[in-house]
Amino acid sequence: MLVKAILLGFVGVIGVMDSRLLGRSNLEQPLVMSCLVGLALGDLTKGLIVGASLELVFMGMANIGAAAPPDLVLGSVIATAFAILSHTNAQTALTIALPVAILGQMLAIVVRMFISTFNRWAKTAIDEGKFAKARHYHILWGSLLYAGLYFILVFLSVYLGTDLVKNVVAMIPKWVTDALTLASKILPAFGFALLMQTMLTKKTMVYLLLGFFITAYAKMSVTGVAIFAVLLVLVLNEVLPKKQTAHTEQTADDDLEEL
Amino acid sequence: MSVAQNVPKLTQKELKKRYWSFVWRSYAIQASWNYEGQMNLGFMYGIAPIIDRIYGDGRPETLEMKKEAYKRHLAFYNCTPQTSAFVLGITASMEEEYARKPDEFDPNSINAVKSSLMGPLSGVGDSFFQGTIKILAFGLGITFAKQGNILGPILAVLISVVPALLVTYYGGKFGYSAGNTFLKKLTAEGIMDRAMYLVTIVGLMVIGAMIASMIGITTPLHFGKAFSLQKTLDSIFPQMIPLAFTFFMYWLLQKHVSTGWILVICIVLGLVLSPLGIFA
Repeated sequence: MLVKAILLGFVGVIGVMDSRLLGRSNLEQPLVMSCLVGLALGDLTKGLIVGASLELVFMGMANIGAAAPPDLVLGSVIATAFAILSHTNAQTALTIALPVAILGQMLAIVVRMFISTFNRWAKTAIDEGKFAKARHYHILWGSLLYAGLYFILVFLSVYLGTDLVKNVVAMIPKWVTDALTLASKILPAFGFALLMQTMLTKKTMVYLLLGFFITAYAKMSVTGVAIFAVLLVLVLNEVLPKKQTAHTEQTADDDLEEL
Repeated sequence: MSVAQNVPKLTQKELKKRYWSFVWRSYAIQASWNYEGQMNLGFMYGIAPIIDRIYGDGRPETLEMKKEAYKRHLAFYNCTPQTSAFVLGITASMEEEYARKPDEFDPNSINAVKSSLMGPLSGVGDSFFQGTIKILAFGLGITFAKQGNILGPILAVLISVVPALLVTYYGGKFGYSAGNTFLKKLTAEGIMDRAMYLVTIVGLMVIGAMIASMIGITTPLHFGKAFSLQKTLDSIFPQMIPLAFTFFMYWLLQKHVSTGWILVICIVLGLVLSPLGIFA
C-alpha cells in the first residue's frame, strides 16, 4: 500500500502542476487523472471507465475567475483509487469524489491566502536587490507548496483510507467554510485597490466609476466594457483638443531637462 | 541618460528563444496564484528576463530602475495563460521602449495596458480553451474511454495541447512585434503621452467592471421578512458592497497603511464579519 500511495501521490502532483506550470493543458481533467491512477494501480481499463464517468460530471466546471471550484484533481485521483482498490463501481466512486473535491477546495483557499504573503516577501527581496530570490517565491516555492500539499493529501487519503477523508469533511463546521470564502472575496478587492493606486487620479476617477456602473447595472461582461472603453477612447481622441491632456505639463518638463 | 543604449539588439535566434520563454513563463504563471495579486508574481517572473537584460549593467542607478521595474510587475494580474503570452509580449516591448525613452514614457501606463488587456483576453481565452476546446477534446475522449480505449485520454490531451501551444507562441510573438511597431509610431508622431492617458482610461474602466463582476460580496442581514438590507442596497445601486470594500482598501493604501497589515485586515474581516452574519 505504501508504494501505491506514493505513486498516486505523484499522480496528484502531475495533476496540480498541470494548472500551475503547464498552463492548464487539461492533464488535470478526471479522464487523464483516472487513466494515470489506473496505470499506477495496474487496472487501466477500470481507470478509463471511472474517468469517463467522472469527466462527464466535472466537465462543466471550468475554473473561471477568483472563486475556487471543487478540486478536480484530488476528487478524481482519490475516487478512482478507491474504486479500483475496493472493487466498487464508478457511481460509488463519485460519492467519494465530491467530498474530497470540496475538502481540496477549502485547502486551496487557505493556500492561496498564505501565498498572498509571498508578495511582501518578494518585495523585500527586490528592495534588497535579491532578484533571484524574488523569482523563486513564484517558480520554486509556489510550485513546491502546491506540489507538496497535493502529494501529502493524496498519499494520506490513500494510505489511511477514504473513510477518514469523509469524516474530516463532515467535521469542518460551516461557519469556517463561510468565513474563508468571505475572506477570499475581500482579498481581490485589495488587489484591485493596489492596481488603482498606480493609475487613479481625481481626474480619471470618473472612468473607473463609468466601468463599474456599466457592469453593475447592465451586467455587462468585462470584455464588453473593454470594447466600449476602447470605442469611448477613440471618440475622446477626436474630441479632446490635440496637444492637450497630460501632454502640456510633460513637455514643459522635457524642455527644462533639455536646457 | 537612457540605459538601453548599450543593450544590443536581439538576433533572430535570441528572438526565437524569447518567444519560447514567453510560452514557458505564460504556462507557469499560476505557480504562486494568490488572492491578493492573483497571477502577479507569475507575471513578474515572466517579464524578469527582459528586465534583467535591459538593466543588467550593474551601475547603481540602473539597479534602482531594475528594482522599480520588478516592483511594477507585482501589481494585480490575472489572465488565461495561453492568451497571457500576448500581454507578456506587449509588456516586453513597452519595457524596452520605456528604457529607451524614460522621459517620454510614463511607466504607469504599462500596468494600464496590462489591466485593459487581461480582462478581455481572459474572457476570450477561458471560453475558448476551458469552454470550446475542452468540451470538444473530452467529449471525444469520453467516447473512446468508455470502451476502455486508451486513445481517449491521449486524444483529449493532444486536442487540448496543440491549439493552446500555437496560440501561446504566436500570441507572444505578435504581441512583442506589434507592440514594437506601434510604440515606435506613437513616439514618432509625438503622441505618446496622449496615448498613455487614453490607455489609462481603458484600464480604469476595465478595473471598474471587474470590481462589479469579480468580487461578489453580499450581505445576508435582514429584519423579519419585510426588510432585506441587500435589496435596499441594490435599489440604491447594485454591487455597492464590492465597491465600498475596494475603496476602503484604496483609502487604507492612501493612508500608507502597510500592505502586510491590509492583508491581515482582509483575513480578519472575513473571519469576523462572516460568522456575525454581516457579509457573505
